[in-house]
Amino acid sequence: MARSDEYHSRPLDGERFTRRALMLGLVQAAGFAALGTRLYQLQVLDGGHYAPLAEDNRIDIKVLAPVRGRILDRAGIVLASNSESFNLSVRLVREADLPRVLDLVSRVVVIPPAEREAVIAKARKQGRGSAVVLANDLTFEQVAAINLLAPQLPGVETETAYARRYEHGEVAGHITGYLGRVERHAMDDAPLLRLANSKVGKSGIERGLELELRGKGGARKVEVDARGRILRNLDETEPVNGSDAVLSIDLDLQGKVVTRLLQERRAALVVLDVTTGEVMAMGSAPGYDPASLSGRLDESSWKVLSTGEDQPLLNRAIGGLYPPGSTFKMVTALAALQSGVIALKDKCNCKGQFELGGQTYRCWRRQGHGPVDLHRALTESCDVYFYEVANRTGIVAIAQMARTLGLGQTYACGLPQQKRGVIPDPDWKRAQYRANWLGGETVLAGIGQGFVTTTPLQLAVMTARLATGTAVVPRMDRVRPGASAAKFARLDVPEEMLQAVRAGMVAAVNEPGGTGSNAQPGAGGPLVAGKTGTSQVRANSVAGDNTEDGLWEHKDHALFVSYFPADAPRYAIAAVIEHGGSGGAAAAPLVKDVIGYIIADDPARRPDPWASGAARAPGPSPDGIDATEPPPADGVPDRQNSDDPDEEKVG
Amino acid sequence: MSDMFHIPRQRPLIEKLWQVPWLLLAVVALLSAVGATALYSVAGGNAQPWAETHALRFLMAATLVLCMALVPLRAWSAIAYPAYAVVLVLLIMVPFAGVQALGARRWLSIGGLIVQPSELMKVGLVLALARYYQMVPRHEISWPRRVIVPLMLIAIPVIFVLRQPDLGTASLFAGLGLSLMFLAGVSSLYFIAGGIGLAAALPLVWANLHDYQRRRVEIFLDPDKDPLGSGYHITQSKIALGSGGLSGKGFMQGTQSQLDFLPEKQTDFIFTMFSEEWGFIGAISLLAVYAVLLSLLMAMALRSTSQFGRLVVAGSAATIFLYIFINVAMVTGLVPVVGVPLPFVSYGGTALTTLMAGLGLAMSADVYRQDEIGAAPSRIGGLVKSSFLRLAENQLDRLRRR
Repeated sequence: MARSDEYHSRPLDGERFTRRALMLGLVQAAGFAALGTRLYQLQVLDGGHYAPLAEDNRIDIKVLAPVRGRILDRAGIVLASNSESFNLSVRLVREADLPRVLDLVSRVVVIPPAEREAVIAKARKQGRGSAVVLANDLTFEQVAAINLLAPQLPGVETETAYARRYEHGEVAGHITGYLGRVERHAMDDAPLLRLANSKVGKSGIERGLELELRGKGGARKVEVDARGRILRNLDETEPVNGSDAVLSIDLDLQGKVVTRLLQERRAALVVLDVTTGEVMAMGSAPGYDPASLSGRLDESSWKVLSTGEDQPLLNRAIGGLYPPGSTFKMVTALAALQSGVIALKDKCNCKGQFELGGQTYRCWRRQGHGPVDLHRALTESCDVYFYEVANRTGIVAIAQMARTLGLGQTYACGLPQQKRGVIPDPDWKRAQYRANWLGGETVLAGIGQGFVTTTPLQLAVMTARLATGTAVVPRMDRVRPGASAAKFARLDVPEEMLQAVRAGMVAAVNEPGGTGSNAQPGAGGPLVAGKTGTSQVRANSVAGDNTEDGLWEHKDHALFVSYFPADAPRYAIAAVIEHGGSGGAAAAPLVKDVIGYIIADDPARRPDPWASGAARAPGPSPDGIDATEPPPADGVPDRQNSDDPDEEKVG
Repeated sequence: MSDMFHIPRQRPLIEKLWQVPWLLLAVVALLSAVGATALYSVAGGNAQPWAETHALRFLMAATLVLCMALVPLRAWSAIAYPAYAVVLVLLIMVPFAGVQALGARRWLSIGGLIVQPSELMKVGLVLALARYYQMVPRHEISWPRRVIVPLMLIAIPVIFVLRQPDLGTASLFAGLGLSLMFLAGVSSLYFIAGGIGLAAALPLVWANLHDYQRRRVEIFLDPDKDPLGSGYHITQSKIALGSGGLSGKGFMQGTQSQLDFLPEKQTDFIFTMFSEEWGFIGAISLLAVYAVLLSLLMAMALRSTSQFGRLVVAGSAATIFLYIFINVAMVTGLVPVVGVPLPFVSYGGTALTTLMAGLGLAMSADVYRQDEIGAAPSRIGGLVKSSFLRLAENQLDRLRRR
């Protein structure tokens, strides 16, 4: 043992340990003494103060639940509200009393024998204090009768419960989301959540604006006797009801959009007001009826909804990730223009394919486009042009431009469960795959394939930013008419470059040879700008050619992004049809239909719901309309989603 | 060379069983019985849902303790570092693979078994620190590099637990680790300097607290600020304690606790419940039983011959003390609500397992108190040490020479 001489002094360790242990023991003894003193103070010295509070009569604090705020559309049409119902519950005060109490109750409310046994067993199991629901949906007469008997019914309570009501089925399902039980309590949760029937938002606006909608619980301090009967009210704090959420969504347009989307198997579409960022419609197919999720749901229906093949619960507009395909070409074009690797009139000869590092990348048009400049490349969606340009620009500049245009991020707009998507760059790839970036991956990213993924909402934001040249941020709450909406900052992209790209988008819809001509609204309609996208779901195949095996799952995703009127942009639309085939053939007609709905009935002209009294201003009084209440300062804070929209984290 | 002559003679199992500190186990059984009784009362005179499970859990844990007590202390010493490393990896995995429950991610699901790595870490930390000081020669204990390494052993889990976020457990780790360093004999100057440093850093800590943690501290300082939130628990707890008075209301007669005024009455607030029914006399008696338990443990620590054994026993004692102190101080409103159970009395399996595992180690240290634990790293331990601690120490050495 070479080192054993170092340890010759081991016994001395013991002495020092003894000394130290005594010191620590003293500290611990002091700690116990402190606890003892504190207990003496609380129990013996102050005991006299607490004893009357608890000797015969006790103080009970009853939590008073607030009424949850409603969710309204931009015109004040109710999307989610509450319907009142009366519940009867009993809590075990003295076990021997229970059968007698139930006998008495059953004079008023029918309690089947089986249920009676179950209630007794449950009350016994839960112990004193927790309430067991006896009956739901009592009539006014029953409530009155029970209240009359109340002195002989210790522990029995009638309470007003509010059931959430959703009246528009799957039209607004993804928007409102739904409520569900509180799954697990934390020590520091609001006592409100501990109530027997309390529910919280599980998805959509219900979850995103949970705190605003929920309101604040009140409390009633009551003195109760040993049997739990209320002797008198001591003190009461009123609950503060949740405030209404007035959304930017237009129910009328939303309904038409969803109905149209349901013609497809899986699809999503977003309509944005580019001047304010308001989301006018957000559809996702298939959908679900939130009302079906609020009541009791049998397991098989829940399975179909949550894990079914088409995932109806998934809001594809914010949670579906798709390669943007050619709709990404504007990003590549602007990145190239800004980094100066191409000029507007530079031409590239498309021979139908592009070679890099021994790999061949094909254009969707096998015979090639011949010499094309930026304008024609956007119009006809030439892949080879963008392979070449992306290769010259490099992935870092492309990724930066994508983020400038709003991709690769989530937005604090009150919608939880947004996906961030991927805007790849070498750092991302190293973190994700521990591998270096390859040149070919830049080429693929340049046409929105490879690693790039986006959500339809992100694509709508990108289109709005292209159309306005400002950093549009989407919002789900309506901008109050008359209130000056915060101006978006200008993008750090020169106007003439944006102009060139916009001209390409106008041409793609309106010039001969343009891939998006199916989106033309027809005579008398506004000038529409747009861009098709056809994104491959299988690698190593040629765009548009993936149907040879006839499998639906192998068909391309069809995308289309658009804004209009092209000369004074007002609306941006992004649409994705999963496995819909080519963007021009499948997605462009869908967008054309939606443009038609908007022209027929412009949602921007909806009345002011605050002025008409359809929406309540936030505040404690349930029916007070306080028009002087200032609107929320900066949009809707997003409490659920901690992602900072300006933060660039991809992963 | 001395090792050659001190190979312990193999004792028969019956002899080892005879040496198990049964008195200690009896005291713990008494505490568990107190717990079961209190839980019976909390459930309104029902063995369901808590009392019966609590008693069963104690029996299972006691079996575990006996098994652990019969494992040679050497074996515990050999797996000390690997155990620490494994638990640390689990702890680090929590943010990525953890099961989330309302804002906190503390649990890992391994093959259907839910474990809470931060609980396991309490045992892991004691083992690792005891193992470290077994190896450090006496005169080197206060060398800076010999102080920094154990500080890191403590700081790494503290940081990860803080990020979960779990302030209660983090302060428990810190208190536990520092107690062990103190017992090992690290110069008092470090502790004095550290204390001054901590006082100076307090504003910085405040700035880095989570909102909910800050709110808890604020409400602790002024419970009326939020009578329905966290302050509600403290106020209710004080009413229940105070109404218990000197001699209590009697078994099953606690009224404040039996209505649903008290949150977590079966876990963190069981002491309130107990003291309402048994009064100041009961509460003090319970504390006295704890004092006996701690004294027994300290006596075991003092008669152990190896540094590893001493520190393992003392670490187990320190853990139990910190649990008791934080819990009782919390329910009496002396420290903010942090969610620490009362050892052996509160309902809940995870904390019970951790505490009993600590006792198992302590008992092993007592049964094998005459064993010499090699100072040099064992084969398994050496692997970890050479790749981890040596590296750290060499780096520090190099820095010091420069």
